[in-house]
Amino acid sequence: MRPITRVALRPYVCASCRHGIGGGRRRFGTKIDQTPDIYDVVCVGGGPAGLGLLAALRASPITSKLKVALVESQDLNKAQAWNMPSDQFSNRVSSLTPSSASFLRKIGAWEHLDTSRVQEYQEMQVWDGETGSRISFDHSWDTSAFEDMRAVATMTENSNLVRALLHRISASGDEGLTLFSNTTVASIENGSDLQTAGPDLSAWPILSVKPTGPGSEGKEPSRIAARLLVGADGINSPVRSFADIPTQGWDYNRHGIVATLSLADLDTPPFPANLRTAYQRFLPALGGPVALLPLPNNHATLVWSTTPEHAAYLKSLSPSAFLAMVNAAFRFSMTDLKYMMGMSTSEQISHEDELAWRVQHTPLPPQTPPFATAVQSGTIASFPLRFRHAAQYISPRVALVGDAAHVIHPLAGQGLNLGLADVASLSRTIEYAVSHGMDIGDLLTLERYSSERYLPNAKIGGACDLLHKMYTIPGQGPITWARSLGLNVIDKLPFVKSFLMKNAEGY
Amino acid sequence: MASLRTCSLPLRALRATRTATRPSSCLRQIPPLPSTKPCKPSTSRWHSTSSVSPDELSHFSALASSWWDPMGPSRILHLFNPLRHEFIATCLADSPPPAIQDPTSNTANLHYLDIGCGGGIFAESLARTIPLDPSAPSPTPTRAASMTAVEPSTALVQIAREHGRMDPTVDSHLRTGKFRYLNTTLEDVLSSSTPEKPAQFDVVTLFEVIEHIDPTNTTPQAFLANCLRALKPGGWLIGSTIARTFPSWILNQVIAEAPWPIGVVPRGTHEWSKFVNPPELKAWAQEGLMRAADTGVKRGGPADLEGMQWKCVGTVYVPGLGWKIVPGSEDWGNYFWAIKKGV
Repeated sequence: MRPITRVALRPYVCASCRHGIGGGRRRFGTKIDQTPDIYDVVCVGGGPAGLGLLAALRASPITSKLKVALVESQDLNKAQAWNMPSDQFSNRVSSLTPSSASFLRKIGAWEHLDTSRVQEYQEMQVWDGETGSRISFDHSWDTSAFEDMRAVATMTENSNLVRALLHRISASGDEGLTLFSNTTVASIENGSDLQTAGPDLSAWPILSVKPTGPGSEGKEPSRIAARLLVGADGINSPVRSFADIPTQGWDYNRHGIVATLSLADLDTPPFPANLRTAYQRFLPALGGPVALLPLPNNHATLVWSTTPEHAAYLKSLSPSAFLAMVNAAFRFSMTDLKYMMGMSTSEQISHEDELAWRVQHTPLPPQTPPFATAVQSGTIASFPLRFRHAAQYISPRVALVGDAAHVIHPLAGQGLNLGLADVASLSRTIEYAVSHGMDIGDLLTLERYSSERYLPNAKIGGACDLLHKMYTIPGQGPITWARSLGLNVIDKLPFVKSFLMKNAEGY
Repeated sequence: MASLRTCSLPLRALRATRTATRPSSCLRQIPPLPSTKPCKPSTSRWHSTSSVSPDELSHFSALASSWWDPMGPSRILHLFNPLRHEFIATCLADSPPPAIQDPTSNTANLHYLDIGCGGGIFAESLARTIPLDPSAPSPTPTRAASMTAVEPSTALVQIAREHGRMDPTVDSHLRTGKFRYLNTTLEDVLSSSTPEKPAQFDVVTLFEVIEHIDPTNTTPQAFLANCLRALKPGGWLIGSTIARTFPSWILNQVIAEAPWPIGVVPRGTHEWSKFVNPPELKAWAQEGLMRAADTGVKRGGPADLEGMQWKCVGTVYVPGLGWKIVPGSEDWGNYFWAIKKGV
């Protein structure tokens, strides 16, 4: 960590900013910069984490009087007006753990969520494609026969969540709130001592924000000072580079394929009727798990982690061949799958025929999901999987949340939940600081946040990394034997399972 | 986690500089509080910058770089600060001063005096809660409308003022005079007030001061009497100190001032023999209340103790968890105390 009292030697965001407008002004200017607009909290990034922080601050009576700003390069009005026909679903979907859901309820954002597009699931089936060993997660152990089973998680489209948070924020009025929509951060640098004219801002981050929307050509960037600058600006966080915080991590050399699917009805209707199940099958020979997570009206979202080559192959297939591969992935042996992954698309035998023929000769376990019958057009996409963890979450007047602080493997669907937990913790920290006369940008304030979140995030991120590494070892070696034994044992021990679930749910 | 580990190096470096410039380790030195004899040489030193010796310059820079360093030698004091706000809030909730007409409203109308403010850790944090708009409600239950902070050390007042300028809210209060740092003694504040216009405050705070008083020049009773003189009827005098017991000797002298990495307080900060037990403090404060009621023609007596209130609660520092209020621990360790003047 750098010396705290003299942060004037912080590096700028990038070389171009140093030599660009800011540097030029300083070189040729004859007088010190004008006083910037001073905000208590400036949040860079309008994703679920950044908006969640803003909504939480606006919802608490202690922090609602703070002057807050949010800088987002996308159009927030468009995000607030987002709409989609009820039989279509966006392919960017997240699973919210019960603790995330209760945070959203607490800040009053849940009631703005379109709940007809949200799907709870009460049961999760996870099995090993290599050995067939299986574990199921549900709350049957702590549910009596007379109540509904508690949800393991809730699936929601990110756009639905973002829209709900924006509605929650606008419902709080516009006093002390500024949303810089369609705006990029041109530079972040330290302020200057205004001497007799004003306060000493030499340790305050000053952002130069530039509108980018239509009709903004020639508009001057505005300068805003932040008592606390929050980086919710993703994996390549400019706020993190301003604060000079290094990150550790690696790329998994895997891609996550997503798609929105329609499912056939189950052979036996679920009991109780509202019971929904999420499915995840580990495919060690193909480089990662494939998961099918329920959406309303018998839709589901697919997340398939696999190697970049397989991902490119899957994306090149016709929709019907893609569907055949998805159905195969939940049913066939590793050998069959590897063969189908190598089928030439110009061959006489199609993937569909191959699936139809092989499925007759494959014994299916009871937890096999229903057949996927259609893929919503335009929803097949992929993204690279990475692991990153910032060395620190805080620096004087800077805090990192969400992906700016940590990026993890999606196999447990925890990324967004960790971000929301960060935001819940940071908003509590700010609340405590305001009610105790503390400076919300001070390290003594922020260390509460980082000590609350660093270890839990490292724990979940590390667990996901370990699972990924264990389940990408193909064949029938000792690791495969050990992981299957472990899975079977945990499945038989309800208290161990409930402990694991509590951890995964963020309690 | 990571931050703590990477921090150990500069921390050690800081400690090295501190040992080189020993005088800085006296956290809150209350210089003589002369009620009759004026302290000429020191006054001229305090108010002139030209006669600053190189020794003092190095002293000053050592302090400047460490007083507000969250990982520096004053860390334990910074961590303690939020609890002071909580204790004041409980005092005000138990028995609000007359200035608070309606306990349910939250108008900011209490005037605070912080004696021995040091580098301004408490004074600045309270000043931050003063609303910029006087008609606006107070954001905290401490309801501060103004803060006057008194500190006899020029170096520390300068550090406090400089640090205050780094927060626009505090800077604005410093400019409007709602927040003042006075480089003077309590006695000067009292003597500058006239009978027509007494310098009187709703809350007077005395955090970590009473155990640093030099007994050769003044007595704690006389000092407390002066503190109570600055208080309006119905106002609270609130402080914190350490009980003089065997556990507090072990904790504060042996463990807290042990060499790094065990110790958390600079060596020589405390002198165990000057610690004060709660019953002593209560007796002194009562005596102080009566002396504060002395006038030229009449001597204060037990009648002046009517309506007085006494509060006392212990605090414990748990490494890794921070400071906690632990009722009962006032009998052997750090504690908050408060005395309310009768209306």
